[in-house]
Amino acid sequence: MRNKIIMFWAIVIITIISVVIIKVKPIPLGLDLVGGSRIVLEAQTTDTISEITQDMMDGLKAALENRVNAMGVSETMVQQMGDKRLLIEIPNISDPKLAREFLGETAELEFKKPILDDNGNVKGWEPSGLSGEDLNKAQVGTDAAGRWLISLEFNGKGAHKFAKLTREFKGFPIAIYFNGESVSEPVVQQEITGGNAQITGEFTHDEAKKVVDLLNAGALPVPAEIIEENTVGPTLGADSLHKSKTAGFIGIIAVMLFMIVWYRVPGLIANIALIVYSLIVFAIFKTIPVTLTLAGIAGFILSIGMAVDANILIFERTKEELKSGRTLFTAINSGFDRAFTSIFDSNMSTIIICAILYFLGSNIVKGFALTLAIGVIVSMFSAITVTKNLMHLIFGTGQLKYPALFGLKESDINEAYEASETKREKAKFGVLD
Amino acid sequence: MSYSVFDAKRYIDVIKYRWLWLAISFIFIFPGIVAMLWSMKVYPTHTPLLVGIDFTGGTIIQYSVNKEISTNEIGKIRLDLTKNNIENPVIQVLKPTTTDNSSNIKNIISVKTKFSENGQNETIDKVTEVIQADYPNSQLVQVNSVGPLLGKQLFINSLIAISLALLAIVIYLTIRFHIEFAIVACLALFHDVLLTVGVFSILGLVYGVTVDSLFITAILTVLGYSVNNTIVVFDRVRENLKFYSKKATYDEIVNVSVNQTLARSINTSLTTLLTLGSLYFLGGVTTKDFVLVLIIGVIAGTYSSIFFANTLIALWNEIQNKNKTKHSEA
Repeated sequence: MRNKIIMFWAIVIITIISVVIIKVKPIPLGLDLVGGSRIVLEAQTTDTISEITQDMMDGLKAALENRVNAMGVSETMVQQMGDKRLLIEIPNISDPKLAREFLGETAELEFKKPILDDNGNVKGWEPSGLSGEDLNKAQVGTDAAGRWLISLEFNGKGAHKFAKLTREFKGFPIAIYFNGESVSEPVVQQEITGGNAQITGEFTHDEAKKVVDLLNAGALPVPAEIIEENTVGPTLGADSLHKSKTAGFIGIIAVMLFMIVWYRVPGLIANIALIVYSLIVFAIFKTIPVTLTLAGIAGFILSIGMAVDANILIFERTKEELKSGRTLFTAINSGFDRAFTSIFDSNMSTIIICAILYFLGSNIVKGFALTLAIGVIVSMFSAITVTKNLMHLIFGTGQLKYPALFGLKESDINEAYEASETKREKAKFGVLD
Repeated sequence: MSYSVFDAKRYIDVIKYRWLWLAISFIFIFPGIVAMLWSMKVYPTHTPLLVGIDFTGGTIIQYSVNKEISTNEIGKIRLDLTKNNIENPVIQVLKPTTTDNSSNIKNIISVKTKFSENGQNETIDKVTEVIQADYPNSQLVQVNSVGPLLGKQLFINSLIAISLALLAIVIYLTIRFHIEFAIVACLALFHDVLLTVGVFSILGLVYGVTVDSLFITAILTVLGYSVNNTIVVFDRVRENLKFYSKKATYDEIVNVSVNQTLARSINTSLTTLLTLGSLYFLGGVTTKDFVLVLIIGVIAGTYSSIFFANTLIALWNEIQNKNKTKHSEA
């Protein structure tokens, strides 16, 4: 009995710790619940780049991190997937279009010099050697008429190149290309040595701002294409979260009612175990931390249905033992012992599947597998320790005086097969006393 | 010695009516198989299921609309989109379940089109323009697009995951039980997965329900649940064989084991279905199909663990015994 009491307090302490963890730690919510964009980019080979190397990927990652940070939202993530893909997650984004525009652009800035014919007319454009790499920084500004423009500040090398370019083509136009498109073709009035340039055009503030952000974040070392995108608007996310919470709550209540109606006092104990179970699982989710997604919530709610399975197995078994006329203490003990092999083998198979899913699955599948596996493991613990302890503490020893407590009838007792056949057999992997 | 369980009143004779149980399984699985074969013939993807953009590649754009949408309007949207050069738009209206007033999402218009390698932005802008012209209050709520190559990889990865899971379970059960239990458990598992996939194949043909990567997750969960259920009954058979094998026949032991675990089988399914049901009817629209897969799988899994697996294990034993007697006669 002393062990039982120690165990009881251990469970109480674990529960309290769980509650504290739940109170203190926030749970990260997945993009499908808060809204946001999840984008997979793939580096593309071009005529000049025949192979994607790890160095290029590192450069690409750095450039994209800069861009994502420039968007000013927290908890963004850029992560390499495989050889030439990057996964980018941007939560809480209000305009999904922005993310898409922001990430896919190569942001290649190039100054081109004119090819002149004999009469001094422009025949075409050719690279001048001055590009976005020579920039120090870019800024949004306005001209005298209040129109938006982009002002560029070159680094030392860039300033030198720009001075040479403006000296050479004084009185002629030069072209500024952004992403392969000419955005401005100003005529050079005089040699510019200060290392500053301005791009004027018909920009809105947002357009100018976007180009500036892209220029400051740096061009992508290789072109990258969006190959997968998943964007959830904040309203849908909030809606899903709200509904899943309601559904989960009602589901749990329904299960609890069922357990009490069918199993009576043990059912009530199972419900306490279920609450302890939920608290522990949530505390673990928050400690790891597991990012909660819709599939993860579904996995958790499903695991509640399955968590009572262990209790049901045990109670059915205990009922059988009671029917065969055993005392309460032995009936409860052997109910646990004999149900244990079932619980162990059936849950092990679920855990095996979860492990395979976790290692092979995509990101959504991973989250689901992890939540389900945690659920299954904790459910074994809660059924074996919490339920068993409470059963012993509440029912004590001796004969069962009120069969109704177990949902049994007086006439059921001793009706079943002979007691001599049900010798207590130690469960192989049991943590039983 | 009397074992009252052996002649109790409430008693399902699994062995006696075994052909009936197998016939019931067949009746439920067969239409699904036909649907799968038919699907493989008619779908351009030649898949047994109507696969979504996760597998084929494509773009799905969803808008929330704060009013009811009639079938005529869907036709109009399609026409408008086609006029704006959107290729083969597929339009669906999803109904979020609850009617509570706090959520102003009454309907979700879902537009599916091709994945455009370049100009993904233009496509989305164009569709948004068209939808907002028709429904000024609509809001872009979700964009989901997958490149065609990625889809194929996902499909292959999923198949690998399922095969490995099966293999691992066979190995585990062979170690913990016996090879025949492992094989029968796998057959029961095929039974459940085939039935579930079959139902979704039919749903795909009739209602255009597509399967995505969550479907694979759901099927894997069904797999786990099915094995879980079958193991509980087999565990009882294993135990009873130990105690009663000299006093009762194999068939009797299987029968008793099924009946002893019957209350548990039904109750566990009920509690699981209670949570799933509440998720289906009250949960978000995005997980509805996922939950439906689980509901069908749980029902199939319960049936197979009570009727299908045990019938097979008894049959297996019978055949083995026959072979043995033949051998000893010869």
